Amino acid sequence: MPVLEVKGLRKTFGAVTAVAEISFSVEAGEVFTIIGPNGAGKTTTLEMIEGLVPPDAGTITVDGLTWEKNEDEIKYKIGVQPQSSAMFDLLTIEENLDLFASFYPRSKSIAEVLEMINLTDHRSKYVKSLSGGQRQRLAIGLAMISDPDVIFLDEPTTGLDPQARRNIWDIVLKLKELGKTTILTTHYMEEAEKLSDRVCIVDQGRIVTLDTPAALIDRLTKEREVRVSFLDGESAAAEAESVAAQLPGVTKTVREGAFLQLWSVQPEESLYGLFGFTKERGFRVEQVSIRELSLEDVFIAFTGKEWRD
Amino acid sequence: MSRTRQLGKLFVADMKLMFREKQVWFWNIFFPIILMVIFMLIFGSSSENFKAKVAIVETSANATSDRLEQELRNVPVFEWKSEQPVDQAQADKWIEDKDVDAVIVLPATEDAKTLKLIFNKETEMSATSQAISGIVGQFIEQANWSEAGVTPTFNLDVSSISGGSEDLEYADFLMTGQIALAIAQGGLFGMVGMVEMRRKGLLKRLKMTPVRLGLLGLSGMIVRFILGVFQILVLTAIGAGFFGVNLHIDPATLIVAFFVGAITFNALGYLFSSFSKTMEAYMGYANIASFVMMFLSGIFFPTSGFPDWLKTVSEVLPLTYFVEGMRDGMAYGSGIGSSDYWLGIAILAGWGAVTYAIGALVYRRTKIEAR
Ligand SMILES: Nc1ncnc2c1ncn2[C@@H]1O[C@H](COP(=O)(O)OP(=O)(O)OP(=O)(O)O)[C@@H](O)[C@H]1O
Ligand SMILES: [Mg+2]
Repeated sequence: MPVLEVKGLRKTFGAVTAVAEISFSVEAGEVFTIIGPNGAGKTTTLEMIEGLVPPDAGTITVDGLTWEKNEDEIKYKIGVQPQSSAMFDLLTIEENLDLFASFYPRSKSIAEVLEMINLTDHRSKYVKSLSGGQRQRLAIGLAMISDPDVIFLDEPTTGLDPQARRNIWDIVLKLKELGKTTILTTHYMEEAEKLSDRVCIVDQGRIVTLDTPAALIDRLTKEREVRVSFLDGESAAAEAESVAAQLPGVTKTVREGAFLQLWSVQPEESLYGLFGFTKERGFRVEQVSIRELSLEDVFIAFTGKEWRD
Repeated sequence: MSRTRQLGKLFVADMKLMFREKQVWFWNIFFPIILMVIFMLIFGSSSENFKAKVAIVETSANATSDRLEQELRNVPVFEWKSEQPVDQAQADKWIEDKDVDAVIVLPATEDAKTLKLIFNKETEMSATSQAISGIVGQFIEQANWSEAGVTPTFNLDVSSISGGSEDLEYADFLMTGQIALAIAQGGLFGMVGMVEMRRKGLLKRLKMTPVRLGLLGLSGMIVRFILGVFQILVLTAIGAGFFGVNLHIDPATLIVAFFVGAITFNALGYLFSSFSKTMEAYMGYANIASFVMMFLSGIFFPTSGFPDWLKTVSEVLPLTYFVEGMRDGMAYGSGIGSSDYWLGIAILAGWGAVTYAIGALVYRRTKIEAR
């Protein structure tokens, strides 16, 4: 049985349709990522699931419970890190954790949470003096203080530098090890690929596509872009181009000086053929690469739009 | 069980939040102290210690002038600029420089019957000048009686009358007023934290937890009660310690007035917070309310000198009744048995109930959202 099930969610604010139709379910222990551009409806979706915003339509069940009937039980089961995380600025990290812990019948030990979010050394600092990354880690700490089964992280890494971002990834991976279910939103494709079991791409309040990162990439057309550059200059590249165009699988070639691009549905075969030719002619190849497909390509392929953070 | 634990934790957190905020210290403790001390220093000297600095001019010594001078020197409220009479020129200079409040010119000849009193034009209308005129006038009247050899049939015995068992000195009046004002302001401004919590999304964050927001309100209330007690203690200590304030405390009267007043002004603050999106807006409302009431509710001066229409306004304001209740409890030492006291408390409580109800309604209408 899925730990979270969402069916036909919809929410409008006046003339704005924040969420048009969203349905998905999440299994226990999964890291489930909702990714999409600004205003796609990620936060609104999460806030409906978290019981903050009543949906216009649709149903939400958390572990078989509903907000109408089991408000407190759901609140005991979930932990939330909102997009703009507010805390008591004039309390210390430890005091914030302690206060939030008192709201729940059961809670993790403060020391354990501090360890997980790596703030043990800063425990006595006032929240108002924390850096962005430390603040964000505390926000995640507050989300896990009640030892919830399901944790919602709304853009946990937005606005953080790469190191701070990796720290947050570590926390998410630790939560996964503990068997927690995590639902997170992000703008970063790289993050979604690294962390998630499944990715849900959202645009304009609708799910564009939903699958594992690998499957999503796999679903794209098999045509890959191969780049080769030659040390022997333009003439070598030009000769190589005319050969390459005849090779199996190649659909298109473009050359610019000593730099050759080719698109192939069988990139390995095409490269094998190309290297056979260069070896025969004694041409020296400077660089070779097959461009990796990323979720960004998935987004572009599914929506026809450029991806922008 | 867990409710009491939550309340305990919230209370401790609220106490920390309050005492770590420098603004709270300034506005709730130091500012009332400063205000009280300034008013005490300017207006606080009571009539008992009234002293007027006076000089005597004698143009030519004669029997009448000598006798009058002798008698004048016995008037206790006069403080003499010089032990010897001076000439007119010297006296004029003192008047100009405001070295003396007044100059008394003795009759120049034995038969002359006129005492002349000279003030500086600028201070002619001041209370001190009025008092000196009155005293000298009375002095002359008495001199006339004794000259005529009669004992007066009628005598005016002036004493001030106030509502309580004891006469109320200005210092007592001011200190109790200042205490009431400080507690009222604590309530009016005290909900700023609520506005900030809402603006920053902290209320929203708390709504995601199972904590009851009612507990949060309750703990904030308890903290402000404690602040109120602290204000009473500090201001009373300063008033009694440095300005000779007399205390006549009736605990029951004081406690009832304090509780009802503190709750009512918290309710007013709650109402302001309900329709304030920003801290600035909230502070604006609280400031207006506080300023209007500060001057119209008889905090620093009695409202008896007001024109009738202004008295009517004053009789509507909650602070008027709160300060009366606090004075009953701290300065007059009675009240709990009087119907006037309970009427005041009832009006005060009415204000609290109505403002709270409106505030709650507004809160329910506008969803708590951070955006
Ligand atoms: N309370 C609200 N009132 C009016 N409009 C709202 C409200 N909340 C969200 N919206 C609108 O709904 C749309 C979706 O917003 P939402 O915050 O869910 O997007 P998001 O995907 O989380 O965006 P971001 O990546 O910027 O956080 C936006 O157009 C937003 O302006
Ligand atoms: Mg968002």
